Amino acid sequence: MKLVHTPEQRDFMAALRDLFADACPPSLVREIKTADSDGFPAQLWQGLAQMGAFGLAIDPELGGEGAGLYDLGLLFTEAGRVLCPTIVYSTLVFGVAAQRLADPDQAKRLLPALARGEVKASAALWNPADAGDTRPVFTAERAEGGWTLRGEQLFVPNAQLADVVLVTARASAFTEPRRVLAFFVRPGAPGWSAEPVRTMSGDKQARLVLDDYFAADTDTITGHGGAGISGSELTWIANAAVALQCMEMVGGATAVLERTVDYVKVREQFGRPIASFQAVQHHVANMRMAVDGARLTANQATWWLGTGQPATRAVAIAKMHASEAYKWATLTAHQLHGGMGYVRETDLHLWSERAKATEIQGGTADVAAGWLQRELGLAG
Amino acid sequence: MDFELDSDQRAWRDEVRAFLRENVTEELVRERAERGFEHPGGHLATFKKKVGEKGWWGLNWPTEYGGLGLGPVYQHILVNEFEYFGVPGPDLTVTSVAPMIMRYGTQRNKEEFLPQIARGELNVAVGYSEPNAGTDLASLKTRADLDGDEWVINGQKIWNSLAHMATHEWLCVRTDQEAPKHRGISVIMVPIDSPGIEVRPLITWDDFRTNETFFTDVRVPRTNLIGEVNRGWQYITGALDLERGALTNAGDLRRAVDEVIAAARVTLSDGSRPLDNPDVRRKIAQLDADVEVCVLMSLEAASLLESGQIPTSAVTEEKIISSELRQRIADVGTQMLGLQGLLARDSEYAVPGGGFEKLYRSAPLLRFGGGANEVLRDVIAQRGHGMPTYGRGR
Repeated sequence: MKLVHTPEQRDFMAALRDLFADACPPSLVREIKTADSDGFPAQLWQGLAQMGAFGLAIDPELGGEGAGLYDLGLLFTEAGRVLCPTIVYSTLVFGVAAQRLADPDQAKRLLPALARGEVKASAALWNPADAGDTRPVFTAERAEGGWTLRGEQLFVPNAQLADVVLVTARASAFTEPRRVLAFFVRPGAPGWSAEPVRTMSGDKQARLVLDDYFAADTDTITGHGGAGISGSELTWIANAAVALQCMEMVGGATAVLERTVDYVKVREQFGRPIASFQAVQHHVANMRMAVDGARLTANQATWWLGTGQPATRAVAIAKMHASEAYKWATLTAHQLHGGMGYVRETDLHLWSERAKATEIQGGTADVAAGWLQRELGLAG
Repeated sequence: MDFELDSDQRAWRDEVRAFLRENVTEELVRERAERGFEHPGGHLATFKKKVGEKGWWGLNWPTEYGGLGLGPVYQHILVNEFEYFGVPGPDLTVTSVAPMIMRYGTQRNKEEFLPQIARGELNVAVGYSEPNAGTDLASLKTRADLDGDEWVINGQKIWNSLAHMATHEWLCVRTDQEAPKHRGISVIMVPIDSPGIEVRPLITWDDFRTNETFFTDVRVPRTNLIGEVNRGWQYITGALDLERGALTNAGDLRRAVDEVIAAARVTLSDGSRPLDNPDVRRKIAQLDADVEVCVLMSLEAASLLESGQIPTSAVTEEKIISSELRQRIADVGTQMLGLQGLLARDSEYAVPGGGFEKLYRSAPLLRFGGGANEVLRDVIAQRGHGMPTYGRGR
């Protein structure tokens, strides 16, 4: 037990911080969130691909670095500081899910290219408002050489931009038991529609509709022995996605805390920096404690998931803290910045929008508290 | 980064747990429930002696002073288990006084006091606070004046817990009346049976006996002054972070939340159970999520200490969060039981395991005591984030 980063982990974070500081300025964040942008940050993507970010958690035999989920989480934290465009997150989460679920042939076909940064991807494997719910919204009906998929999901991140999306569907086939299967689905094929959804933060969500979409057997994941994907696999994946998102939120909240401290030290009123007022210091102390709580609980959840455990209790606790800490960091930051954080030409609102989006996506603190109640045996 | 105890650490935890299961007897638990009834020769005193025989009080001491030299993580694990079992961990004498003597004491201080502490023969009451020097401790007025080879002490201390059971006072006194307030303070070891000391009991809201202690022309040998004269403030503040780091722990809060969860399943007099209420379930989940933060902050503090860093932020934050959480645990615990939450623990109508009214009464102490949370928030802003001081010097 040692809750301290290794020198290698510290170096890794520093390298990422440099990269993100150069390649992901607020101007890029502003550009990506406009309705005209396709959401793809070409130059940043190239930089991340060059440093091996997309293969970080992919097995070495598939062309990746073979680092664990925790190190991937550190990448999410650094990305979160600068409000990295969400296509990076959805592609990395897809990689985690695909590596966990895909059969060896599928993995060989898909993951080396993903690791090189040649694939943009997303996943729709849980209820976007409650990651504790992994019941599929799509259905799959047996067809010649594959399956016919139907259904729709609102809030599939970057589906309109992705080259491939991993979805689950409840499969029914004559004489076979019902089971959950997973499918790699792609744009351009008949029956595919991914319509952008206008959101508060312009974070490139889509309504994904599959209407008699044909998925070939080679794009179908049938699970161990063809018995379907187990609930525990999907729970691990959904939990990993939530934990990684919490890591991202910690980065964002830390950035908000730091810029707020910098601002109150230079803003003078009544002839002195407002940082010298106790009321201001206590706001900062409260932000700091909440951010540290979110950091430690997110680190814990991600670390235990990296050992292969579902870690549902740790994930629930992490999401409860991250959701509130990030959001309140931004709202307190608005209070301490006054008008200088309120006008659109200042950048604070970019974090505030991401904080609100990530608070709700995957599940609010109330939703996550429901997961925790089940873990504690309290659920009614 | 590693969140899992290694096999040696697990073995240590299991050893401590086994010892506690055997030695935390029902009689001891009853005595602990009414802390005011602790006394020399009682169950707690017997328990402490057994712990001392294992050498565990000095587990974090260097071996050259007779300690086990096991380090902060092992200390953390022990304290955590002790707190969970509701027995006090290493007391201030071994965790606070002894390390200060080791670090700052004269050779004579070390030879005279450390072996006695190691044998459990010397235990102190900490005499810091005064009626007009609480949060602003450096304003203390109790004075010591040199007369030949003796210090002559006059003044008054308050919140002087254990003074009725201790062998010595670990006393903060003013030894220079002219110097700036932080630079005229010294620490002196005063035998409690010295003529001129009067100890009067003060009983707190949670039935704990603390004391106010009066010093009138109390004489002690000059050599009882710890380290150098007028350096006391530096000693007591410098050591504080280290001690807090080693001792910061959430074992008692973890236990309290587990008790709230257990009591939530009990059927109340109106036939309902607390956990049938979704608001109660939501609140309990929040307590569980928040106590986890305290647990992790204390683990982080122990890890940082083990890496040779002083975990000022982690321990300061943990103190604030845990003390405010303790009040919320007691609040939810009493509230969810309805009127039965108001019952005294020994009432015939009391809910088994539902004595949260006692916790409600004891919880305020740790929020204002040990550094008021308002001052500690300043510390986070000022020392953690470089924000300006505004007159509260350190």
